[in-house]
Amino acid sequence: MGGDLDSFNQLVLRWERPIYALAYRVIGREEDARDVAQETFLRAFRALKGFKGQAKFSSWLYRITLNLCRDWIRRERRTPLVQAPEGVDVIELAGEEAPSETVEELVSRHELGRAVAKAMSQLPEEQRTAIILKEYHGLTFQEIADLLDCPLSTVKTRLYQGLTVLRKQLREAGVESTFGK
Amino acid sequence: MCDSKELLVSFLYDEIDPVAKRNFQQHLATCVECRDELAELGATRAQIATWTPPDADLGFRIIREAESPKRRWFHWSPAWGFAAAAMLVVAASGAIANLHITYGSDGLTVRTGWNHAVDAQAGATNVDWKAKAQELDRRLVDLERAQSQQSVVRTASASDLSEQRVREIVGQSETRQQRMVSARLADMMREYDAQRRLDLVAIGQGMSRLQTSSGADLKQTRDLLQRYLVRTALEEKEEK
Repeated sequence: MGGDLDSFNQLVLRWERPIYALAYRVIGREEDARDVAQETFLRAFRALKGFKGQAKFSSWLYRITLNLCRDWIRRERRTPLVQAPEGVDVIELAGEEAPSETVEELVSRHELGRAVAKAMSQLPEEQRTAIILKEYHGLTFQEIADLLDCPLSTVKTRLYQGLTVLRKQLREAGVESTFGK
Repeated sequence: MCDSKELLVSFLYDEIDPVAKRNFQQHLATCVECRDELAELGATRAQIATWTPPDADLGFRIIREAESPKRRWFHWSPAWGFAAAAMLVVAASGAIANLHITYGSDGLTVRTGWNHAVDAQAGATNVDWKAKAQELDRRLVDLERAQSQQSVVRTASASDLSEQRVREIVGQSETRQQRMVSARLADMMREYDAQRRLDLVAIGQGMSRLQTSSGADLKQTRDLLQRYLVRTALEEKEEK
């Protein structure tokens, strides 16, 4: 049993950040995203005996997380809140992440991130989830379709519609598409 | 082909079979509309990649496995105690009351207790019954007293428990509130600090611009002064 616990904690260590990131991007609240991530691992641990390896472990975790997020959204009956990321110091980031990046570039990147977060929060839940799974977690169309229990074509449509709406909203927010060029 | 957004998305994410990919590439060579849309969606993808979740202190660990509660076929609860006591009281009362019912010319007569007349033959037995009844009565009183004491203890411990729980909840709430306040304060400090640093950078840049321009002005003034001095010296020489 102790061995099971250690092995499981190794998996927790491997997956806690992606799971937290998924929850954060879906529900948009840092504290609640942490709770969802924690609950995901707790549920996964309790149901570990029932996991037969029919899906990838990560897909299984994603499914639990998305169900919890869906419960959260239903319970809160609201769209995700755009929360200003905490603990972001643009000056420190300039030194740590991109030494060649000027403060102005960094500030504009930070602003862009916030604009994206806002635009994402306004997308319908199913489009947002499809984009998050594709863009930030690199899942294939088929994996997304399996997770969301929908046909492959629906996934592609949601991605197309979501990206199109995002493009429009970012343009309206005055974000230039030349970023990163 | 322009209508097939699924194909466009498949191409965009490079999840497309080689034949379809080649066909779409050929289509792109001639269709400006699709080419532009593809480029714009690609740019949007680059933009949304900048959104990163805030750093969070995670470190989740499962400490131990939850114990599964053992199922018992019988669970003792206070209700069982009260029910048993009630049955005992009813049985004892029936025995003590010594219910006596007669129906005669004077109608129906119901008598209870030990006040009704007894026949002489039963006299000796009557004494034994009385003693037994008194004994039973005493035991009942003892039982009631013990039960009332027990219920007092139970009530006290329950109220202690609930008070303790309330204290815990209040404590947790206060801790949570303190944590929220300190987080908010930390945010404000961070924002203030970031703004201050940006201001300092701007001031620094402004100062350096000022210094550069001041240097040029100074040089110009110095040159003018030099020229003036030379001219004045020449004029003085000519006057002499």
